[in-house]
Amino acid sequence: MEKISEGAEAEIYDAKVLGRSAILKYRIEKGYRTRPLDYRIRSERTKSEAKIMARASARGAMVPKVLLIDGYGIYIEKLDGAMLNAMMDRFEKQKEKMRKILEEAGKQLGMLHNADIVHGDYTPANILVTPEGVVYVIDFGLAEITNSVEEKALDLLLMKRSISKTLYPIFEDSYRKSHGDSKSVLLKLGDIERRGRYQTRTLITG
Amino acid sequence: MAVIGIESSAHTLGVGIADKGKVLANEKMMYDVGTTGIIPAKAAEQHIENIGSVIGAALSKAGMDKSGITGIGYTKGPGLGPCLRVGQLAAKTLSMELKVPIVPVNHAIGHIEVARHVSGAKDPIVLYVSGGNSQILGIINEPFRHYHVFGETFDIGVGNMLDSFARAAKLNPAWGSSVAKLAEGGKYIQMPYTVKGMDFTFTGLLTNAVKMLEANDPRDVAYSMQETAFAMLCEAIERAMLLTKKREVLLSGGVAQSKRLKEMLEIMTATHNGAVYAAPNEFNADNGAMIAIVAEKMLDTGMQKKPEDCDINQKYRADAAEIRW
Ligand SMILES: Nc1ncnc2c1ncn2[C@@H]1O[C@H](COP(=O)(O)OP(=O)(O)O)[C@@H](O)[C@H]1O
Ligand SMILES: [Mg+2]
Repeated sequence: MEKISEGAEAEIYDAKVLGRSAILKYRIEKGYRTRPLDYRIRSERTKSEAKIMARASARGAMVPKVLLIDGYGIYIEKLDGAMLNAMMDRFEKQKEKMRKILEEAGKQLGMLHNADIVHGDYTPANILVTPEGVVYVIDFGLAEITNSVEEKALDLLLMKRSISKTLYPIFEDSYRKSHGDSKSVLLKLGDIERRGRYQTRTLITG
Repeated sequence: MAVIGIESSAHTLGVGIADKGKVLANEKMMYDVGTTGIIPAKAAEQHIENIGSVIGAALSKAGMDKSGITGIGYTKGPGLGPCLRVGQLAAKTLSMELKVPIVPVNHAIGHIEVARHVSGAKDPIVLYVSGGNSQILGIINEPFRHYHVFGETFDIGVGNMLDSFARAAKLNPAWGSSVAKLAEGGKYIQMPYTVKGMDFTFTGLLTNAVKMLEANDPRDVAYSMQETAFAMLCEAIERAMLLTKKREVLLSGGVAQSKRLKEMLEIMTATHNGAVYAAPNEFNADNGAMIAIVAEKMLDTGMQKKPEDCDINQKYRADAAEIRW
């Protein structure tokens, strides 16, 4: 199997499940943790990630399908496309295309929040766009099920710090329309930004 | 040419002397926290009583008298108000008397910068773990050159967690080494593990561990709490390493004295072709030399302050301090 990518927690491989092309997201062993803690964290997170992806799908969000869970690995439907962060550099000029993508990204986050799913790492590095322009949300490795308004606001803040000042309002407008309680979340976002902790602490993303 | 640094933010009263980055003296006196923990007013009283003699000891260790002092630094914060005040007043008095420049220093920056200075780390991602604080930092140049906080504890520092547990388990108070000792040979029991991105919390873990003392072998509880807390720190700093692509991890602050934490970081950094840097323990515990070292760098880069602007700030954040060098 060919390794496509490597993150802090997991490695991504090219795979096949019953003839379908897939990716395998495998949580790697961390030698620094005592064994039982290592097993526990990897298996809990693997299950939680798959469960949250299934919940997101069921609530209509655009998320690749989970095909199989096997130990510390999840096999996920392989999508054809490019990550938004890579596209942003290349397609700076294609304003109309970017507008549509960011509208869709805002709408998708609103839908996730409607299902009380907080993504935890909602940046352009985790948004995949197909050649047809369909927008998918990936990487639920840090996601959680919670109705916390603050956690939802932090999803928005992360995106705000990750994209340009001209693009963000498009994203936020679309989020406002799609999330049932966007008013509270946006108020909270304002609070957080005024609060000391996040004022001195610029979020840096990658 | 010699810069004197006074540290008095908590139970340690430290006086150090540095000259061109070389530590000439690092003297201290400690307030005994006993089983009650620190009482700020009492500690401050003791610092007032001792400050003259600790300054004297530092000067004689460096083989000089007061007239050789060319600059002064003191801890502005964070720390306990009454204790900080002692160092601040002594520093201002000395500055007026000797007519030499004075500069306020951030306590956390003291620990971090002295560790960077003596370990030879160049551009590290820092794990600063002390009693009251636990943070992951790295230097960035915008909007001014400073230590940006990538992640930090949402509640208590990992040092306070170890100390509180040590008290609950009726161990020798005040230091995590007694927890480490108890943990030897312990077995793992499941405990709450909470990391969010590069942030973490310790109160849930502490409460759980203290409760578990009732029905479990204390060795197992100590082991599991320590393993869980340190694993959380390792996970957060690993994420910061990958995000910043920095390969040096600098460990500093009181809890940096933990052998197990250092070992875990070494295992983690090795998988990313990185390495762990740390200072000898005399600089990880609170001390005056770190304030002298940073004060000298600050004075060399024109950061001296008018005595009337030399204040204290109990909540002085590391990311508010400018790093000009
Ligand atoms: N369903 C998928 N289809 C195609 N590529 C994917 C898919 N999921 C992930 N990838 C690729 O793998 C990379 C990392 O995956 P991700 O789930 O974000 O893991 P990590 O936790 O390492 O960030 C993505 O940036 C993308 O290039
Ligand atoms: Mg990702």
